[in-house]
Amino acid sequence: MPSSTPASGTGNAGAALGTGLAAAGTRLDVRVLPRSRAWYWDVWVQMLRQKPLGTTGALIVVVMLAAAVLADVVAPYGFSQTSLRERLQGASTAHWLGTDQLGRDVLTRLLYGARVSLYVGFGAVALGSLIATAVGILSAYFGGRGDLLVQRGVDAWMAFPGLLLLMSIMSLIGPGVWNITLVLGVAFGIQNSRVVRGVALSIKEHTYVEGARAVGAGHGRVAVSHILPNVLPTIIVVATTGLSTVILTEASLSFLGLGVPPPFPTWGGMLSLAGLDHMYQAPWLAVWPAVALSLAVFGFNMLGDALRDLLDPRLKGG
Amino acid sequence: MKQYVLRRVALAVPTLFLVSVIVFGLMRLMPGDVATRMVEGHAYAPTIDALRRDLGLDRPVHTQYLEWVQGIVLRADFGQSYWTRQPILDEFVRRFPVTLELALLTILVSVVIGVAVGIVSAIRQDTVTDYVGRTLAILALSVPYFGLAVLVVVLPSIYFRWTPVYTYVPFTVDPLENLKILTVPALVFGVTRAGPIMRIMRSALLDVLRQDFIRTAWSKGLGERTIVLRHALKNAMIPVITLVGLQMPLYIGGSVIIESIFRLPGVGLFFFEALTRLDYPVVQSVNLIIAALVVGLNLAIDVTYAFLDPRIRYR
Repeated sequence: MPSSTPASGTGNAGAALGTGLAAAGTRLDVRVLPRSRAWYWDVWVQMLRQKPLGTTGALIVVVMLAAAVLADVVAPYGFSQTSLRERLQGASTAHWLGTDQLGRDVLTRLLYGARVSLYVGFGAVALGSLIATAVGILSAYFGGRGDLLVQRGVDAWMAFPGLLLLMSIMSLIGPGVWNITLVLGVAFGIQNSRVVRGVALSIKEHTYVEGARAVGAGHGRVAVSHILPNVLPTIIVVATTGLSTVILTEASLSFLGLGVPPPFPTWGGMLSLAGLDHMYQAPWLAVWPAVALSLAVFGFNMLGDALRDLLDPRLKGG
Repeated sequence: MKQYVLRRVALAVPTLFLVSVIVFGLMRLMPGDVATRMVEGHAYAPTIDALRRDLGLDRPVHTQYLEWVQGIVLRADFGQSYWTRQPILDEFVRRFPVTLELALLTILVSVVIGVAVGIVSAIRQDTVTDYVGRTLAILALSVPYFGLAVLVVVLPSIYFRWTPVYTYVPFTVDPLENLKILTVPALVFGVTRAGPIMRIMRSALLDVLRQDFIRTAWSKGLGERTIVLRHALKNAMIPVITLVGLQMPLYIGGSVIIESIFRLPGVGLFFFEALTRLDYPVVQSVNLIIAALVVGLNLAIDVTYAFLDPRIRYR
């Protein structure tokens, strides 16, 4: 009976432990507790159990990631492969979602669009989180005049309607995948350094920080090994919820022709003003990128919301 | 109270100074030369040097900055467009009503939808109605407004032979025609912005409905309608107003895209056209004016709270 073996095994171990303790008499009770899951696994288990919308969001994100990574394999055509004889064709077995004004396959471009959106999105958020973490923690930890100066700068930056400023910068340095990732990353970092700073300020007041200083830990050590781990959940939440915003902003800029330049396909660029005239003949050119973009934003929003509820109840919103 | 207002105004000054430095610095430090383009593409002047001298681009950067700020502070002169040589403030003032009207209508649409759905969702908490409302809010959050706008421009014209009106008529000339033009853009933009308002309305109302004075109202025998609309709603609106104020930059930023899709001659379109022609003075002045408006608006909202809600105390 194979199933009884592990059961009897643990039974024996328990019995042995029990007798051992009994023999020891009044010694401390040191039963081994079942090892709890690490928090980063626990979050996903909890999400599966309690957050149906969050799970849906995570699924959409995973599908998007797969599309982005496997675009070369899955896509039936090249993303800039034109075929003028097949311009503006509707859905068919050869082109599932039709073709655009240059005869390029819309499905292919959507798949590669996922790649560009995710490159820019993840790149910008990663860069932004680094900036936000560094600026936020340093500003909170050292405080004083530097903090005041940095925070007034953040104030000034936040006074701009984000899109206008980003448009100005992008038009000056010119469109490009690297440029837009850099600009969106810096903008994301400046904005969210506020959030990180707030959390770091409250953590700084804990006695263990004082304790660490008292036993002789340097500023760098306190910031990295005592404050950073406690700010980390907040950063994860900010980054996940921020992804949808960054992807939307990239799409808006590409829509205006200031984001990722052609021939690289992006969902915003596919919707763009420049192609508006063709959409009257071929409405699928407008419909599919809009659907893809909405789905992606929906997925990241739901995932971000669920992660926020599970990781950081303090940030819980409506 | 008076002291609080004064302190807030004093704090806004360094913010606006930094805003002007950022926007001016960006324009000068980044690559891209308008003079080359004006001379080579459009023959605005015989040589690039002549044009640069003419536009004042040959002088040191700090002189240019001081001149710009001095003009604004002393003479309310925001400079001229490089291309048209027209005063920027005049053009801004001429176009601002369009953007303002669009923003107000958008806010109206999003608040009406958001508050109505939010109320229904809150008083029917955890019923099917609530779930439908919340799902709608999430969907509204996810659909990009420019995607929706493109679909609204394209699809009805194919299937119903209906197109938005593209010739703009000011409100003062023909109010009815004007509203007809702005209704569709405002609806499109407003619907996508209703999501967050609905969510915050719902949670604020749920919060208020659990408070003691609402129980008192129930025990007095008042009807549900009176309790929700007259007692609870007033208290639950404060976070909604805060949110609308915080989202003002979004409404203005979005107007660039909405105006260019629906061809409305507002500030957004002015800005976008200036941007594509590297018209720095316009770009930096419009950025500054709008940032100042946003700062002023937030200030006004904060000060209004102090009047509206005596419970809010300021140090």
